[in-house]
Amino acid sequence: MIDPARPVLDIRAVCKTYPGGVEAVRCVSLQVGRGELLALAGESGCGKTTVLKMINRLEDASGGSIFYEGEDIAGRDPVALRREIGWVMQGDGLFPHLTVRENVAIIPRLLGWTADDIGDRVVEMLDLVRLPIIEYADRYPAELSGGQRQRVGFARALAGRPDLLLMDEPFSALDPITRDTLQQEFRSLQAELGFSAVMVTHDMAEALIMADRIAVMADGEIVQHGTPSDLLANPASDYVSGLLETPRRQMRAIRELGA
Amino acid sequence: MNANFAERLAELPQYLSAHVVLSMCALLAGIVLSIPLGIQAARRPRLAAATLNAASVIQTIPGLALLALMVPLLGGRIGFLPAFIALMLYSVLPILRNTIVGLQGIEPQIREAARGIGLTDRQRLWQIELPLALPVIVAGLRTATVWVVGAATLATPVGATSLGNYIFAGLQTRNWLSVLFGCVFAAGLAIVLDQAIRLLEIAARDRRRGLATGVGVFLAVLVAASIAPRFMTPGPAGTVAAGESSGAVQGIAGQTVTIGSKAFTEQYILGALMQRRLEEAGARVVRRDNLGSTIAFDALRSGEIDVYIDYTGTIWATVMNRSEPAGRYRMFTEMSAWLWAEHGILTLGRLGFENAYGFAVSREFADARGLDSLEDLSAIAGELTVGGDPEVFARSEWTATRDVYGLGPARTRSMDNTFLYSAARDGQVDVITAYTTDGRIAAFDLMVLDDPRGVLPPYDAVILVSPQAARRPGLAAALGPLVGAIDDNAMREANRRVDLDGDTPAGAAAWLDERIAEQ
Repeated sequence: MIDPARPVLDIRAVCKTYPGGVEAVRCVSLQVGRGELLALAGESGCGKTTVLKMINRLEDASGGSIFYEGEDIAGRDPVALRREIGWVMQGDGLFPHLTVRENVAIIPRLLGWTADDIGDRVVEMLDLVRLPIIEYADRYPAELSGGQRQRVGFARALAGRPDLLLMDEPFSALDPITRDTLQQEFRSLQAELGFSAVMVTHDMAEALIMADRIAVMADGEIVQHGTPSDLLANPASDYVSGLLETPRRQMRAIRELGA
Repeated sequence: MNANFAERLAELPQYLSAHVVLSMCALLAGIVLSIPLGIQAARRPRLAAATLNAASVIQTIPGLALLALMVPLLGGRIGFLPAFIALMLYSVLPILRNTIVGLQGIEPQIREAARGIGLTDRQRLWQIELPLALPVIVAGLRTATVWVVGAATLATPVGATSLGNYIFAGLQTRNWLSVLFGCVFAAGLAIVLDQAIRLLEIAARDRRRGLATGVGVFLAVLVAASIAPRFMTPGPAGTVAAGESSGAVQGIAGQTVTIGSKAFTEQYILGALMQRRLEEAGARVVRRDNLGSTIAFDALRSGEIDVYIDYTGTIWATVMNRSEPAGRYRMFTEMSAWLWAEHGILTLGRLGFENAYGFAVSREFADARGLDSLEDLSAIAGELTVGGDPEVFARSEWTATRDVYGLGPARTRSMDNTFLYSAARDGQVDVITAYTTDGRIAAFDLMVLDDPRGVLPPYDAVILVSPQAARRPGLAAALGPLVGAIDDNAMREANRRVDLDGDTPAGAAAWLDERIAEQ
């Protein structure tokens, strides 16, 4: 049974040490509530992507445990787990030899849905990400713009009705206008469907705008964890202040122009 | 229509179908071997390096040598099997390399996406990686197809029928139309198969079921049409009819006899002559033409062929490994006894003519230098160029002649037998190793130098019968009348008809048969 009060994802003191002794992640604990968007922010190499990959067992943790819907994922079949959890990656990761329709249908197909259900779901998903089905369903990824490809990427990840969506820099390859539109649309999509999400980003402004909570990482550890307003009000270290400096400066510049 | 053209056209179904079956079997086996190996190797860099190196080494072996090597490796088997294995090995490199390159060239991001959304290893391979690598793999397959169809023409000397029969036979008998037939149809087949694979790829990419079915049906019909004749028994209406001929010998009628022959004119004529005699006796004849010299003997020993013509001096030197000279009769008796005792091979008898190796010069050159015998050459050995067929310089006939007559300082040049005689006539070489029955010696005004010290062994033509066939009395009865029936002049004239007059070996054999009957 799904208990609405229980966190969808509960990460308890996980660490990841690679052969050779490199410690990518050191004792990270996090929780993601139902319908919540958690951003993992930090500079490249800080371990945020490794944390994300441990959640659907693309990487296995060296220590600690991860509970998804109350169940320890260490005991789950990785393939079945990945089909339950949505996965969106930087630069879309669409399969170039499959059409938009086939890309979106792939997880329902793997889950063994009937052809009718799959067809209905593709229509529904393309409608949700605002790609008219008549125009786009039979195109190949190479025939789409970057923003359209990323929309298909979201549609594919959400087609299997996951409770949790994992996203690795999903907007970073897009131009600023498309990025802004997609960020807005993503939040309304999440509000509509009610899934939870973990998003890795190096862009602090994106984290501040989109996330319910932000975990800032450095050297494999969480250095600060809170809501966007907490972070802005009380940065815990010079490192966090540094990360916030760019969005702050941009905000000031825009406010001065408006004045 | 020209008779030569009509005859070549009549050979086409047999040669083309054998070529199709041989090259398609080799390719199919190459695919079955290379693609799984490539898939494994693409994930294991060390295995990839090892298999690619092995395949590259095989590729550097010249096609003809690779094919010829298969015969001793398979214990003397000739025909389809050695050719098939050699061609399959030949097809491995391009398919294997492109499978590895194609799979390794897939963007890591796409692999990760496939893993991240929950495809199993097997699903990733079949649904994502192989379809994405397909264009590269197909490019390798197309390269392999063109190589294999081309190299299959080299299967002729190991006893596998192919379009190479046109080329080898045409080269030996100076029948350029035959050579052209072989080239045109081999190239045509390569193009057709290459395009068929291209269309299959397009069908796979665009998911055009109709196109895929069409090409598939075409290939299936091609293979079926090529295989079908092998399963059909010869009809009663053919040239072969058991018991129909009055001269039918009991015991061979209806049986199949495989005749081997080496790759020169005289051998084709004698093969055709034996075929006539055996078919008159009611046997069904299969010909294995253009066998390499030692391959023919190996094939007889293992029973792949039933009968062929060899020469006493050749068996003496290359099979018995005897280097000392021997007189004609002693050599014949010792050879017969040895073949029977060692291998159970029956020497049916001598045909009556000798086709010896001799050293020939143009009469013009002989007159200018006052040449009469091999002894006269030693004084001018340093200025001489000796042309020979591809095997002679490795044989004891040459080394013994060279050492006895002091020809060490002479330069040697190997070339195909077809071109030797004209090379001597035109002064491109000074001395050639000639077959003494070759009609071109007289026609090109060449003369054979005497061998006063008796270095060159006798080369009496003999009929050799395999151990199994030796137990079939009808075979000996049918071929027995040929013993002692062909003298030097008759053989030389028959050779001349093919080499100079453009007659076919079958035509010359008919002429020879008539002449034997008149005796």
